[in-house]
Amino acid sequence: MPAPMPKMPNKDDPVATWEFLEIGVDRIMTQLSEGMDSKTYLGLYSAIHNFCTAQKVPSTGTFQSNGTKGGAHLLGEDLYQHLINYLQAHLDGVNQKSQTHTNEALIAFYIKEWDRYTTAARYINNLFHYLNRHWVKREVDEGKKNVYDIYTLHLVRWKLDMFASTHDSIMNACLRLVEKERNGETVENMQVKAVVQSFVCLGLDESDSRKPTLEVYKDYFEKPFLAATSEYYSRESKQFLADNTVVEYMKKAETRLEEEKSRALLYLLPEIVTPLAEACESVLITEHSAVLREEFQVLLDADRQEDLARMYRLLSRIKEGLDPLRTRFETHVRKCGLSAVEKVAADGDNLDPKVYVDALLEVHTQYQALVNTAFNGDSEFVRSLDNACREFVNRNKVCKSGSTRSPELLAKYTDTLLKKSGAKMSEEDDMEKCQADIMTVFKYIEDKDVFQKFYSRMLAKRLVHTTSSSEDAELSMIGKLKEACGFEYTNKLQRMFQDIQISKDLNSAYKGWLATNLEETDLKNAVDASYHILGTGFWPLNAPTTTFAPPQIITKTSDRFASFYNNKHQGRKLSWLWQLCKGEMRANYARAQNTRVAPTFQVSTYQMAMLLLFNESDTVTYDEMASATKLNKETLDPSLGILVKARVLFAEPENAKPESGTVYKLNLGFKAKKLKINLNITVRSESKQEVEDTHKTIEEDRKMLIQSAIVRIMKSRKKLKHALLVNDTIQQIKNRFTPKVSDIKKCIDILLEKDYLERLEGDELGYLA
Amino acid sequence: MSATQKLTLTSSDGIDIEVERKVVERSVLIRNLLEDLAETATLEPIPIPNVNEPVLKKVLEWCEHHKDDPVSMGDDDSDSRKKQTDIDEWDQKYMSVDQEMLFEIILAANYLDIKALLDVGCKTVANMIKGKSPEEIRKTFNIQNDFTPEEEEQIRRENEWAEDR
Repeated sequence: MPAPMPKMPNKDDPVATWEFLEIGVDRIMTQLSEGMDSKTYLGLYSAIHNFCTAQKVPSTGTFQSNGTKGGAHLLGEDLYQHLINYLQAHLDGVNQKSQTHTNEALIAFYIKEWDRYTTAARYINNLFHYLNRHWVKREVDEGKKNVYDIYTLHLVRWKLDMFASTHDSIMNACLRLVEKERNGETVENMQVKAVVQSFVCLGLDESDSRKPTLEVYKDYFEKPFLAATSEYYSRESKQFLADNTVVEYMKKAETRLEEEKSRALLYLLPEIVTPLAEACESVLITEHSAVLREEFQVLLDADRQEDLARMYRLLSRIKEGLDPLRTRFETHVRKCGLSAVEKVAADGDNLDPKVYVDALLEVHTQYQALVNTAFNGDSEFVRSLDNACREFVNRNKVCKSGSTRSPELLAKYTDTLLKKSGAKMSEEDDMEKCQADIMTVFKYIEDKDVFQKFYSRMLAKRLVHTTSSSEDAELSMIGKLKEACGFEYTNKLQRMFQDIQISKDLNSAYKGWLATNLEETDLKNAVDASYHILGTGFWPLNAPTTTFAPPQIITKTSDRFASFYNNKHQGRKLSWLWQLCKGEMRANYARAQNTRVAPTFQVSTYQMAMLLLFNESDTVTYDEMASATKLNKETLDPSLGILVKARVLFAEPENAKPESGTVYKLNLGFKAKKLKINLNITVRSESKQEVEDTHKTIEEDRKMLIQSAIVRIMKSRKKLKHALLVNDTIQQIKNRFTPKVSDIKKCIDILLEKDYLERLEGDELGYLA
Repeated sequence: MSATQKLTLTSSDGIDIEVERKVVERSVLIRNLLEDLAETATLEPIPIPNVNEPVLKKVLEWCEHHKDDPVSMGDDDSDSRKKQTDIDEWDQKYMSVDQEMLFEIILAANYLDIKALLDVGCKTVANMIKGKSPEEIRKTFNIQNDFTPEEEEQIRRENEWAEDR
C-alpha cells in the first residue's frame, strides 16, 4: 500500500488543492499497480468537488449574484490547466526515456507506457468526473475548442507530446519487425497489434471527441505499411522470377498473398485487408502479368491443370487480368478442334459420322473439364469455349463445302445410335449419355434446320421400316430437341410418331373388320398385311418416282384395306408409297441348306411383283417384266440386279445387261444358306441421291422460313424500316440457321410482288392484310 | 460480485451504514469507484466525507426505492426530462421534508452524482417557486432583500417581458 494521502486541503485554497491533487494524480499515473483504497479515491474526488463548489471567489467587482458561476468557471479552468501542465511534464519524461530504446525494445516501451497511461487516464477521468459534468460540459456546450473531457484530454496530450515526436521511429521499428517475419523469423507480432490499437485510439474527431476516426491510423500506420509492403514484394518478386520458373513463381505469389491476408487478420485491422491485398496484387501479379500470360500457352499445351488453375486464381484477382487469357484460350480450343477434325477428315466422303462426332466431342469434353476444374467454371471462359466450339463445329475441313456437313453427319450419327443393332448399346445410361453428347454438339450447330431435315428423313425411315431400337429412346431424343429448339422444331417429328401409334390401333381394328366381313376361305388365302397411315404434311416422303402395276394379289389386299379405311374416314385420299412397301414370300421350289424347309425371301413390293411373274412361267423376258410391272427403267434395273446377283434369277445370255432382249430364268436349284434371305437392299447410289435431294430442299425451305418470319414480324409491327426488318428477321431465324442478308432482301422482294407488303415513304415497309 | 452483495458506507460523522451494492450503485460516483478499485479495497468501509448520517440514510432510502429503475447511461439531457415538473407520488412524499433537509439532499445528490434524485430535488424547489411573487419567494426561502428600490425597479423593467399578465 502506498503512503496515506495528506490531509484534505482547504476547499478555498487553489494552491493547496492542486498540490493535493497532483500527489494523487501522480500516484495513479506511476504507482497504480500498488493499488488504491477507497479513502484516497473519494478524497481526490471530494477535493475536486469541494473546490468547485466553494462559495468564496477570489475575484472582485461584478454582481455578487453572478459570483458563484464566475468562480466555478475560473476555478475549473485552473484545475484543468494544472492537469495539462502535469501531463506535459509526465509525457516529456516518457518521451526522453523512449529515446534510449530502439527497435523491438522501443515498441515494448511504447506499449507499456501507453497501457499505463491510458489505464491511469480512465481513473483520472472518473476522479475528475465532477469537473467533466460541470465545467467541461459548460465549456463544450458553449462551443469552446480545445476543451475535452478528461479522458480525451489525456489522448490529446499523448498525441501532441508523445506521439508527434515518436511515431516515425515506432513505425519504423514495426516495419522492421514485420519484415523479419516475412523473412521467416518468428517475432512478437502481437506488439504490432498493440501499436495499431494505440494509433487507432489517437484518431480523435475534432468536432466530436467521443467519435474515434481512423485518420491517425491511416496516415501514420496504413500508408507506410502499404508502401513498405509494396517495396518488399516488388524486390522479392523480381529476384525470385530471375532465379525460378514462372510456375514456381506462381506458387510463391499465391503463398505470399495468403500470408499477407492472414497477417492482416491476425494483428492488423480488418480495414487493411483490401488495400493490403491490392498493394500485394499490384506488385506480385500486375507487374508480372505479361510474363504470366506468356506461360499460359505453354501450360495449355502441356495440359498442366493445376498450374493453369493457379494462374487463373492469380490473374482473376487483378482488374481485367483474365481477358487476354480468355482470348488465348478461345484460339487454342479452336485450333485443337480444327486439328482434331483434320485428322479424321482424311476419310473424305466416307467419313464415319461417329468418328467425326467423337472428334468434336473429345475436344469439347477436354476443355469443358478444364474450364470447370482450373477456371472455376467461370462463365466468361464458358463463353470462350462456346465460341471456339461453334467455330470449329461449323467451319472446319470437313465442312469446307458448306456448314451443312456438320448437321448432316450429326443426324447420321444419331440415326446409327437409334437404329436397331446400330452401335452396341446395352445400358440405358449409355443411350442417355450419347444423346446428351449429341445435344452438346447440336447446341453449336448453326444450321439447325439442316439437322432437322436429315433427322426427320431418317426418323421416317426408322418408323416405316420399324428399325427403331427403342420407342423410349426416340421419345427422349425428340424431347431433348424440343427443349433446345421449341415446339415448332419437333412438331412434325412428334406427329410422325403419333401416326405410327394410330396406325397400330388401326391395324388391329382392321383385323377385327376382316374377321367379320370376310368369308373364311378368303380370309385363309388373304395376304397377311399391315399398314401405316402417314399424314402427308408431316412426313418427308415423296410419291413414287415410277409407275407401278401391283400384282393382282396385292391389289386385292390394298383395295380391301382402302374400302375399310374409306368407310371409317370418308373423304380421305390414300396414296400408296410402293417404294417403301415390302413383304416376304416363300420359295416353295427351293430348300434351305440342311433342312426340308422352303426359304423365305424378304423383298420390296417391286421385287415381289417381278418374282410373282415366275409363278406363271420359269422364264420371263425383260420386256415382259417391264410391261407387266409398269416399272420404269431406273427402278426396275437395280431391283432386278439384286435378284440376279443373289442368284435367284439367271440372266440369259450370261451377264447380259438388263435391257430388251435379255431373258430371265428362275434358278430352280437355288441354294439358300439361311431360312430368311434379305433381298430388299437399298442401293448405295440411291441413298447418295437422297442426301443430295435433302440438301436441295433445304434452300427452298429456308426461303419459306424467311418469308414466314418476315410476315410474322410485319403482322405485329404493321410498319417497319427495311434495315430493322432485316435485323428482326435474323434474330428470329438465328437459332435455325444464319440467314444471308441478300436472301432476306430477295424474300422481301418476293413478298412485295405477292402484295403481302408495300413500300412506304422513307425506306419503310407496310403490311397488307 | 453480485448485485446483492453488502457494502459498508461510512458517513462524514463516522457512522457505518450497511447497504446492498445494487442500491448504492444508483450513485455514479460509487459505481465508478466499485469498477475502478480492486475488490479488496471495497471490502473496507467506504468513507463518504461530504454527507452526514441522516442525509446519507435519507438518500439511501430513495436509492432503495428506485433500485430497479433502468440505469440511464451517459447524460441524456432530453428536453422532456428537464421541462417536466411532475413528480411521482412516492417521490413527492419522500420530498416532504423541511427545507434544510431538502437542500442537503440536493447537495448530496449532486456530490454522489445521482441524476434522478437531483432532478426530483430541483423540481421540488421549482414547484415551491412557481406562481409566487418575488416577495413571497423571499419569504418562502427566508431571503433578505438587499436590493435598493432603484436596482429592483431596473431589474423589474429588464424582465418585464417575462411577467405573466
